[in-house]
Amino acid sequence: MNEASLIGLFEATVSFGALLYLAALGEMIAEKAGILNLGVEGMMAMGAVTGFVVALQTGNPWVAFVAAVAAGASVGLLHGFFTVVLGAEQVVSGLSLTILGLGLAAFVGRGSVGQPAGAEMVPVDWGPLSDIPWAGPILFAQSPFVYLAVIAGFVTWFVLWRTRLGLAVRAAGESASTADAAGHSVAGIRLAAVAVGGGLAGASGAYLTLSLTPQWADGIVAGRGWIAVALVIFGAWRPGRVAVGALLFGLTLALKTRLQTFGVDFSPILLSMLPYLLTISVLVVISIRSRNRPSPAPAALGIAYRREER
Amino acid sequence: MSRPVLVRREQVLRGGQPLAFAVGLAVALVVGVALLVGSGHDPLRVYERMFEASLGDPRAWSVTLNRAVPLGLAGLAVAVAGSMGLWNIGAEGQIMAGAIGAAWVVRIGEGWPSPVLITAMLAAAVLGGGLLALGPAIARARLGVNEILTTLMLNEVAIRLVQWLTHGRWKDPDSHNFPLAPMLPDNARLPGLFERAHMGVVLAAVVILLFGVAASRTAWGYELRVAGSSGATARYAGISLPRKILTVLVLSGGVAGFAGGIELSGTSDRITESLSNGFGFAGIIVAALALMRPSGVAAVALLFGAVQIGGQSIQTMGVSSSVSTILQALILFGAIAAGVLTRYRVEMVAGDATEAGR
Amino acid sequence: MTEPSHPIGPTGPSETSGGDAPSVELPAVELRDIWKRFPGVVANAGASLRVRRGSVHAVLGENGAGKSTLMNVLSGVYRPDEGEVRIDGVAHHFRTPADALAAGVGMVHQEFRLVPSFTVAENVVLGACERIVRRPAVESAVEALAGRFGLAIEPDRPVWQLSMGERQRVEILKALWRDARILILDEPTAVLTPGEADELGAVLRHMADDGRTIVFISHKLHEVTGFCDEATVLRGGKTVAASLSVADTDASELAGLMVGASPVITERPPAREAGEIRLQVRDLRCSDDRGLPALNGLDLAVRSGQIVGVAGVAGNGQRELAQAIAGLRHVESGTVHLVGEDRTDATPRQRFADGLGYIPEDRIGVGLAPRLSVTDNAVLRTYGRHRRGPFLDAASATGHCRDLVDRFGVRTGPLDEPIAGLSGGNLQRLLVGRELVGGPRVVVAAQPTRGLDVQGVKAIQDLLVGERDAGAAVLLISEDLDELSTLADRLLVMHAGRIVAEFDPVTAERHAIGEAMIGHAETADDTGGDQ
Repeated sequence: MNEASLIGLFEATVSFGALLYLAALGEMIAEKAGILNLGVEGMMAMGAVTGFVVALQTGNPWVAFVAAVAAGASVGLLHGFFTVVLGAEQVVSGLSLTILGLGLAAFVGRGSVGQPAGAEMVPVDWGPLSDIPWAGPILFAQSPFVYLAVIAGFVTWFVLWRTRLGLAVRAAGESASTADAAGHSVAGIRLAAVAVGGGLAGASGAYLTLSLTPQWADGIVAGRGWIAVALVIFGAWRPGRVAVGALLFGLTLALKTRLQTFGVDFSPILLSMLPYLLTISVLVVISIRSRNRPSPAPAALGIAYRREER
Repeated sequence: MSRPVLVRREQVLRGGQPLAFAVGLAVALVVGVALLVGSGHDPLRVYERMFEASLGDPRAWSVTLNRAVPLGLAGLAVAVAGSMGLWNIGAEGQIMAGAIGAAWVVRIGEGWPSPVLITAMLAAAVLGGGLLALGPAIARARLGVNEILTTLMLNEVAIRLVQWLTHGRWKDPDSHNFPLAPMLPDNARLPGLFERAHMGVVLAAVVILLFGVAASRTAWGYELRVAGSSGATARYAGISLPRKILTVLVLSGGVAGFAGGIELSGTSDRITESLSNGFGFAGIIVAALALMRPSGVAAVALLFGAVQIGGQSIQTMGVSSSVSTILQALILFGAIAAGVLTRYRVEMVAGDATEAGR
Repeated sequence: MTEPSHPIGPTGPSETSGGDAPSVELPAVELRDIWKRFPGVVANAGASLRVRRGSVHAVLGENGAGKSTLMNVLSGVYRPDEGEVRIDGVAHHFRTPADALAAGVGMVHQEFRLVPSFTVAENVVLGACERIVRRPAVESAVEALAGRFGLAIEPDRPVWQLSMGERQRVEILKALWRDARILILDEPTAVLTPGEADELGAVLRHMADDGRTIVFISHKLHEVTGFCDEATVLRGGKTVAASLSVADTDASELAGLMVGASPVITERPPAREAGEIRLQVRDLRCSDDRGLPALNGLDLAVRSGQIVGVAGVAGNGQRELAQAIAGLRHVESGTVHLVGEDRTDATPRQRFADGLGYIPEDRIGVGLAPRLSVTDNAVLRTYGRHRRGPFLDAASATGHCRDLVDRFGVRTGPLDEPIAGLSGGNLQRLLVGRELVGGPRVVVAAQPTRGLDVQGVKAIQDLLVGERDAGAAVLLISEDLDELSTLADRLLVMHAGRIVAEFDPVTAERHAIGEAMIGHAETADDTGGDQ
């Protein structure tokens, strides 16, 4: 086990962590407003394919990025329309969204499979910072998406916990009737939260096709959307803890291909079960602890809201 | 200034669900036309081909029926839990767990007579699926842990368990280092029915029928309905909720596991990580469209089977099979929208009126 | 009606008097001739209310007197069908609670609208703060506001850790934060311990002295006399006494006004001779859903052929008493005997088999399963008897249901349709019929006629009397004193989780019953102190 391979491992940990973090932040925002969106996988696929195809057409990675975010947000809004406006079951609508997103992405990308990328996001140049041993390559030679994820995390924390809007969003997810009584539009908040969440999932997808593995293939998202859903629970619906979880889960992804290089005789497949098993344990612990304190899960998560009918 | 407001109907429209379903199908086909025209295909020819390949002749029917089996059983699994207001999102993984159980029996049952082996395989499949659901069931019944999230997480675990087995202990020594399990021996294969259809079609139909009867005609099904309608009423009627939750979730997992066993023994050459192939997730849509009723599950599963098989067939015309995936999701979305109209009326209301909403 | 007894200094613009206002000073709140009808019920039939600025004004009335509706009209939750709402002399047409709040009217509902995981400060400022929430600043502002009115509160504590009394303070703070000048409190002391209630009284006084106007809905006369200035009494949707000066009246007069002079219905079904004791409750103790003591050593006995009525103001343990007898609430100590056997630990099913018919307060959601068919609901208690092996005999169940529907005059559509389409009266006939059809030996009926129309009420009452005449022991828990006086052979009054008085329904004076209901029982001395 040498220094270079360790640096490589941590570098990959940070990039996978950022990939998961973007999608998980989006899911967290939607859930904080009370909407469970199991369509992350589909939204990521839409973001990935849109980013790739637009990059092919325009050659501009930033235009491609914006298009990917817009695609993710639109698919997210579809979930919002069905669950918020029509009051459909969030579980069913979200899973259908995954199926729809994967199908649409495959359809849109059917001509682009195997093509070289039209544009890539080049790593940010931090000048002398990138020469610092260890920290340089791990932290200061990353794709812009990594820094975007960090910024998104701070902004999310600030907006949700330090602004009037954030108070309203969290109230909508904890007790929609209270938010309503306080004069907030629960439907508006929830739609916006699902759209923002979709946008972040789209950004995460674009990270795949514009930076991490700059090409398009069916199944490129490869279940990372589900890890993002798990992360939100693992991180107890808090941006900081979700970030820690993202790095931890990112480490398992990074280790998967490297275990053998490090001479560790442990199945990488069993390792990849870890995030899910950890998340289940967290769920159980939360439930045991919430006997005498409220669960960190938004109390109104998954519950459609309509004003009382009389 | 006026805006539309949804007002709850006093009585749900009768026969609304089949109608909503038809609307969903229509919406899907119309959007499908747009997709096909947009990608330079003749939609009529594509749809004709889809129909022929899935329902056009006995052979097409046999393939469609085979496909409807895992869809219908997964849908039933979701519906069994759903009839009590529980969500089993884990059918995908339970199908895998069932296949693991069945494949394990194949490994120890070398040389067993075929009927014995197949019976043992299917029994192990039910056990495997039930076992994977047992954890979430206990957690929900005893601790109140949300079963949506636990069952969802276990999907990924089960799929990786299959990967782990096929990469390791269960790898076929003759597979030239490909991570593949050995081919199933002939005595582990379900007997045929007609054309390419296998006995699994009959078994699935029997299971769905059994549950249909159990749900609508037995005291057990009655208790389930009461518990699903109102927990407080169930207590008043002397029904134990934790015990019902436990049995229903485990049973639901068992049904999904059964689908995995049949899929392995009926249509698959060997156990692979793609055996469940999205059946578990599609099953949720099937159950939702069937309003959690076993009879409806069978019908919707048949239609979804046809859409999937039809979708595969049009690849030879150069059409992406993703069209059929999109159609499946759109049927549901269309049906949800139409379904809302069976429960609500749209009324135009002046201004920001609130009284109408109360 | 009465002149203000102690006006609080010169306040507000008094010249812009709105037409026929008799006094110089404009009232803070004036509701004139308010009508509000709901399907089948007239909740307000020309009710009026006049509240002097800077006063604490009590609104009194029995359940169903129309208090809550009137307050919902004032706070913008309902729009009145007729009548006028004036705030500080200006007519308003509130469409939403937000409109009312903008005019300075804030309401503290009985059911708190708080986010448990938020801190006190977050709850207070939700929907009414700067774009950026600077926590220390917001917390100190909330603390300062609380301090101004003597509301002890820690602004950074999450609400789930707070007691009911503290939560109520947060609700009051929410209204104050939004600058409500007129504060309505809907039965604020129902969830409070006596100590907390006294503290609340001091806070309200404080706010009134600050120039705010308090409308205080209560059942408890000692609170009204303790810290209110004036009182308005509602009965049957009308105002029967307006703005009485509390200094010039007493608990007894108010109780009389609340319950009315004499029952309208006088025809009493002839009593039968009572037989052996069928239901006996001894020293029963239970907690309510919040874990607070609800029954504090309750004793009662009901004999065969007897209707024992339990009167009381809502929230004094009636619900818990019914649930404990039915086996649906954990009994902490004490015993329940059914037909001579100790059945304290028996399951609901066993008790039904013993001959206990139970008509729960919550018709839908407990007594009946809303999404199930008429037949499914009809056999809820007895489905075990319609079994053939594992199967439910549909023909036998439907037959049973048809009998029940015919015998009890339930008007339904097809029997395999969900009960959701049935009217309230028919739902109750179905439920009562199901509990009575087997000839129960003991019947516990909780609020069996609440919300029904006249015909429905009569039908259910006749059924209960019929059961008594057939020899059943009937425990009738009701908030309708007329009903109890008409039907009961013995009338018990419940207060603070105990039976505090017994009356002969034929000879009892209504105001005496009313006083017992609010904890002023003349027959017992040990009733005032709750815990």
